[in-house]
Amino acid sequence: MTSSSAVLTQTAPSGTMSIAPSRAVETIGRSTRRSLEAVGRSMAFVWETIRAVGDVRTWSASTMVQMRRLGVDSLPIGTFIAVFTGVVLALLASYSFTGAVPLYFVGTLVEKTVIMELAPVLTGLALAGRVGANIAAELGTMRVTEQIDALETLAYDPYAYLVVPRVLAGVVMFPIVVGAAMLTGVASAWLASVGLLDLSSPDFVKGLRLFFSPFDVRYGLVKSASFGLAVTLIGCQRGLGTRGGAEGVGRAATSAVVYSAVLILVLDAFWAVVWLLGTRQ
Amino acid sequence: MKRSNDLLVGTAVIAVILTLTGATLWVKQSDIGEKRSKVVARFHDVGNARIGNAVVIRGVRAGRIDALELEPTGWVHVRMSLDRAMQLPSDPVVLLNESSLFGEWQATITSRSALPHDEKIATEVAESSGGGAVLPGATLPDIAKLTAVAGQIAGDVANVAGRVEVAFDDSAARELRFSIRNFAELSATLARTVRSHAGDLDTLSRGLGSAVASLERTAQSAERMAARIDTSTASGEVRQIVDDIARAAAELRQTTAQIQTLSQQLARSQGRLDTFLANGDSILSKINSGQGSLGLLVNDPGLYHNSDSLVTQLRQLVNDIHANPGKYVSVRLF
Repeated sequence: MTSSSAVLTQTAPSGTMSIAPSRAVETIGRSTRRSLEAVGRSMAFVWETIRAVGDVRTWSASTMVQMRRLGVDSLPIGTFIAVFTGVVLALLASYSFTGAVPLYFVGTLVEKTVIMELAPVLTGLALAGRVGANIAAELGTMRVTEQIDALETLAYDPYAYLVVPRVLAGVVMFPIVVGAAMLTGVASAWLASVGLLDLSSPDFVKGLRLFFSPFDVRYGLVKSASFGLAVTLIGCQRGLGTRGGAEGVGRAATSAVVYSAVLILVLDAFWAVVWLLGTRQ
Repeated sequence: MKRSNDLLVGTAVIAVILTLTGATLWVKQSDIGEKRSKVVARFHDVGNARIGNAVVIRGVRAGRIDALELEPTGWVHVRMSLDRAMQLPSDPVVLLNESSLFGEWQATITSRSALPHDEKIATEVAESSGGGAVLPGATLPDIAKLTAVAGQIAGDVANVAGRVEVAFDDSAARELRFSIRNFAELSATLARTVRSHAGDLDTLSRGLGSAVASLERTAQSAERMAARIDTSTASGEVRQIVDDIARAAAELRQTTAQIQTLSQQLARSQGRLDTFLANGDSILSKINSGQGSLGLLVNDPGLYHNSDSLVTQLRQLVNDIHANPGKYVSVRLF
């Protein structure tokens, strides 16, 4: 491409096309091509994963292992974040409501905020670091040590053997971890309200029940499932695409975390616009 | 290893799902096992009542609103679930009203006799009665409407206060103070005047009394005179009096004409006198200002002294002529 543009520049009559504009156009074209290639690779990756779901015998064996590693082992970090989120949220709400809004609205604010937003997003971001980096590093190491090539040589589909169990584990276990975070966050906010604030337990429960709807829980869990799908897919895609040895593994892990975090926030806005706005209308 | 993984994952999944479901049902106050009694009430309008709002009996939370249903008959049916231990009051009526300033509504179940004394509520309850097992209901106006009206009133009061403030500024207060002071002075003056004129009024009233007495006497005199006229009429004296009066009137007209002529002459004489006085004034002004011989004579002391000595010498000359006429006059006949 570079040589062809040089030829074009040399054959252009009396310098009508200068070098700088041609390079700018070339850069734009290259970026567009790479973006389309990335999208194409991602779509192909997703398609290969969907196709591999049919190979149940291959992925079912390791799915529970992945569910324990991605889900059960992530419960402590998820609940730890939720405990402090709930306490801080209760204190922040009481600070904001002082003298203007009845204090039992602390329960309302905690319920809506923790269940619908903070538990899914904060847990998702934490798991993006823990799970996404773990998957990308693990698969990247397998790629650079040619273990994946060995699997292919042994007629194992790497998508069915490596990707599908992790993606399924992420989709199933992310809502479990987020559900635990919801319960922990509300419970810690309740304890903080009773213990640290001048708010009785019935008042907190009154606020909790005031505008509660099962939709709130449904919304948070579905959102967290989409986060699990995004984090595991990106981790697997980055890991399988690793090149260049240990340095490449590090790059894959870093990019997996960054892309997962960005995609979690994008999906959060997407669900708010599509589902909340749609429900409101 | 495989079993332990399965056990761990299964435990975590079941625990979280059960806890989350139980918490949701508890927060939602779901009636598991239908341990609650159901009550339905009908309304024209349910305001901002929503599913999950509290149902209250004599201030105690007794249940929740389960459903709001728009019936084909035009009524809105509100389905409520109550704790079974709760007893409905006699002749129950359901009121929908706001329970706080933050948009929370509640359904209050009360007896018809305990309804607030409001004609609109009574009408709504009467219209919604007769639904069989469905309780009658009425909706109280929400606080937003009341506060809107109160806000309008407050705005009007503020406008009036603003206008009063604009009209009653410092200068107006000063003028009012001056006016009050002037009024006090005026009232004091009036009091003094009234006191001072009270004596005059007494005098006047006394004079009026005497005048009335005089009038009475005059009337009596007139009556007597009329009586005399009546008696005189018969003897021809009245004719004579009338003739005398006619003559006197003719003489009076003549005298008046003469006086008129005399006054015209007097007017002309006055005109001439005015002219004479004006001329005299002019002459005297000239004399005073030293104009003319007379003015010089009056205003020049030297000339006066010369004239005086001339007169003295003339007097001596005349005396001398008297004494020695032949010295000055020589008469020769031939």
